[in-house]
Amino acid sequence: MEIHLYLSIFPEALIASMLPPEEFGRYFAVGNKKRTRGQAIFFKVNRNFESDYLKVQNIDELCVPNSDGSPKRSKYIAIYRVLEHIPMEALENLYLVTDDGRVLELEKGDYSEENNDELHLYQQLGPVRPLVASSLDPIAFCKYLTNTEHPVSVPKIMFVELILNGLSNDPQKASTENIPYRNIDHMRDCLVDLKKPGSKPNKTVVRNTRDDLLYRTTKNGFFIGDQIELFYYPFPSQEQLEGEYYSWWKSALTQGFGY
Amino acid sequence: MNDIFWFVPITSIIALMFALYFFKQMMKTSEGNDRMIAIASHVRKGAMAYLKQQYKVVGIFFVIMTAVFSVMAYVLNLQNPWVPFAFLTGGFFSGLAGFFGMKTATYASARTTNAAISSLNGALRIAFRSGAVMGLVVVGLGLLDISIWFVALNYFYPVELGDGHNLVIITTTMLTFGMGASAQALFARVGGGIYTKAADVGGDLVGKVEAGIPEDDPRNPATIADNVGDNVGDVAGMGADLYESYCGSILATSALGAAAFLGETDMQLKAVIAPMLIAAMGIILSIIGIFFVKTKEGATQKDLLHSLSRGINISSILIIIFSLAILLVLDISNPYGIWGSIVVGLVTGIIIGKATEYYTSATYKPTQIIAESTGTGPATVIISGLGTGMISTAIPVIAVVVGIVLAFLFASGFDFTQMGLGLYGIGIAAVGMLSTLGITLATDAYGPIADNAGGNAEMSGLGTEVRKRTDALDSLGNTTAATGKGFAIGSAALTALALLASYIEELKIGLLRIGEDVLVFASGLKIDTASATLVDFMNYYEVNLMNPKVLIGMFIGSMMSFLFCGLTMNAVGRAAGKMVDEVRRQFRAIPGIMEGKSEPDYARCVEISTIGAQREMLIPASLAILVPIAVGLLFGVPAVIGLMVGALVAGFVLAVFMANSGGAWDNAKKYIEEGHLGGKGSRAHKAAIIGDTVGDPFKDTSGPSLNILIKLMSMVSIVMAGLTVAFSVL
Repeated sequence: MEIHLYLSIFPEALIASMLPPEEFGRYFAVGNKKRTRGQAIFFKVNRNFESDYLKVQNIDELCVPNSDGSPKRSKYIAIYRVLEHIPMEALENLYLVTDDGRVLELEKGDYSEENNDELHLYQQLGPVRPLVASSLDPIAFCKYLTNTEHPVSVPKIMFVELILNGLSNDPQKASTENIPYRNIDHMRDCLVDLKKPGSKPNKTVVRNTRDDLLYRTTKNGFFIGDQIELFYYPFPSQEQLEGEYYSWWKSALTQGFGY
Repeated sequence: MNDIFWFVPITSIIALMFALYFFKQMMKTSEGNDRMIAIASHVRKGAMAYLKQQYKVVGIFFVIMTAVFSVMAYVLNLQNPWVPFAFLTGGFFSGLAGFFGMKTATYASARTTNAAISSLNGALRIAFRSGAVMGLVVVGLGLLDISIWFVALNYFYPVELGDGHNLVIITTTMLTFGMGASAQALFARVGGGIYTKAADVGGDLVGKVEAGIPEDDPRNPATIADNVGDNVGDVAGMGADLYESYCGSILATSALGAAAFLGETDMQLKAVIAPMLIAAMGIILSIIGIFFVKTKEGATQKDLLHSLSRGINISSILIIIFSLAILLVLDISNPYGIWGSIVVGLVTGIIIGKATEYYTSATYKPTQIIAESTGTGPATVIISGLGTGMISTAIPVIAVVVGIVLAFLFASGFDFTQMGLGLYGIGIAAVGMLSTLGITLATDAYGPIADNAGGNAEMSGLGTEVRKRTDALDSLGNTTAATGKGFAIGSAALTALALLASYIEELKIGLLRIGEDVLVFASGLKIDTASATLVDFMNYYEVNLMNPKVLIGMFIGSMMSFLFCGLTMNAVGRAAGKMVDEVRRQFRAIPGIMEGKSEPDYARCVEISTIGAQREMLIPASLAILVPIAVGLLFGVPAVIGLMVGALVAGFVLAVFMANSGGAWDNAKKYIEEGHLGGKGSRAHKAAIIGDTVGDPFKDTSGPSLNILIKLMSMVSIVMAGLTVAFSVL
């Protein structure tokens, strides 16, 4: 049985599994029986990389079929500082899993830089999870946060840009309709501050987001990068979501119903 | 007998023939692929299993009640010997209408989905005409039953003989078949209401909230039960409710006509058959209206609503014209006044419908305000929903009040002393409101068909375009359902008022039957019972507000509305709890449900809802029947009249409040889901979901069931009038 390697973003972990991505995603979200549920976001990782930190050499010995011959569903290889130790070139497709185990596969795409002065809202997904308002575009944001010369930086970062609708241009007056974030007034204050001359480029809206990511708030796609590279995983268009990926999208829209 | 009467049975046959035609046309269309057929088959089986179980319980009840009526009629001589049979046929025809309606609806949903693959108009046509089967079967069977009994009783009590008293006997005997229909309706409405909400709330609580599964997802074991519930509650329940109102309004008006024109045999007969003829004309005009319902491809929501409104509006305008023609052809006295009452009834219905729309549609401020209150959490959502629901009672109450006054004044020639004629006007206003029931019920029954069609499209994994079409039809169904509920409660109020007046006629018959030919007043005044007027009876029984018996009755009547609501609400809670346990159990016990590798046990959830609904409806239903009998036996006629008044005024207001609160909470949630106030997944959304869950039994169980409670308590009082006058303790 083929062994796959997955990088889970939250909880941050490197997991070996004999399940292919779709089945792994379903298992990861809802378990073997329907006793739990939970959103999951993970990358498929190419096994052919070397790391002094991660013990990837003996995966074949660790991840063996169960005693009844069934495939091993998950074998945790590492759970600490995993993201920074996976080389960028080892990252393959990204998988977004809904609460009830529907899996959407995203491939890498080209990100075309937007040259405008719009404001942005970034949900950092790993290694830390603040919600940040920013005047930087995704490429600049990634470079800024992975720049070790800055007092606050990380070696590698994964984030998603969220919709701001009219607030991206007019944070003072634009409507917040269809924007489901908490602390919306504080967010507006942060965005207004960013517009002021001489302001810092980033403002923390929420220090640590504990809620699941509402997939419907994705503006353009998911980003992972360091100082050198930035990979972009574009989110499907509304038309594709309502047609090609309907069952996933419908499930994604049900998020937030739980108390 | 007047030759024009034969128009009534003929149109009832025409209605049934058109229903058969629409049914056959629908059955000729394809049900789609294997998956669509399998889903529809699950729903159909579940619906039929529910009906079978319900008819079993109702059958036992009917056997017991028929035995009681037989004893009253043949042993105690307290009732007309025809009553047991009239009671049975009323229940049978009502049950038959529910059966045909459900059968058609469950055959139509997959066909609507399949038609939506190629066109919106095709899907609308199948869904609406299948809904029309229910509408036409209800009015067809209702008028057929009325016609058969009128002809049969006329044979035994010829209208030409008896100085008009035979017509009084005929019409009051026919009224008792209304109790059969009422009893059947109560079981259908209460049972259906509990079923649908147990499945809906129970399924949602585990499916959406706990498991994060979207609605209509085949992995949810309660999905099929939820779809069955739409049919059970909104097709069979609503159909039986309006069947009862339809027949009740015609029969009560005929009885009031027989009383109002006693002594003028020719005019009396005309007054008796006038409501039947107007209803018969309404059937023809409904059929014409049904053919006007069509739309173009790519129609907007507004276009779709316009298509349905066009059919209803054409029927309504034509009935205004033709009802005058009928009254003129009949050469009834004061035709323009009576016609005025009919128009008043129609306008009252429209005003209540529009008020319902205003208070429950997200297009208007009240629902938007409830949505805005989500910003401060679920508690304020509940508070503002309750507040809006209470405020929403004002317009319908004022509409009914103005309607009553105008209908009374028009028919009585603006003379308040002409009580009999005025009450006849109120009765015929209810007939006017329900005359186009053939098409208005079609728009109600269409809703669950479209809803199920959407569910089928989801579960079958059909394409975006199909889902968009079925969603458009479903959304339209939600709008028409809210208006339909307003119409149902408005007609129930007027019908109950007519029944209240008819009760006096039953008292008269009851007294004559036990040999009390003369009413002897405390003052020594004596009046022949047969010729005593309504006011005489009020004075004889001291029906005034200073009589504690009247007040006792009013208190009990008001209390009954709340007690009944509370019982049905708790019933939903308990039945939904059982459903939650079962869905959780299946997720635990059946491996592979979430992966879609194994199919849930849908039948078990259907069974739980069915059994739960049947068990839970027994206590509220029994109370509705036993309390009027007990009050009559203990406190006598004044208390029974107080009971009817108390139940009517409290029940009407409570029903409007509950239906509108529930509808407004539902649409406030939808308003947020459309992208307002944070949209899906926001805190506002979560608060709105709580409001919607609370509102579910409000709008779909307790609120609609009150319509029947009001009418059934009146009907039981009427049928038991003989028992009350003979055996009351006080």
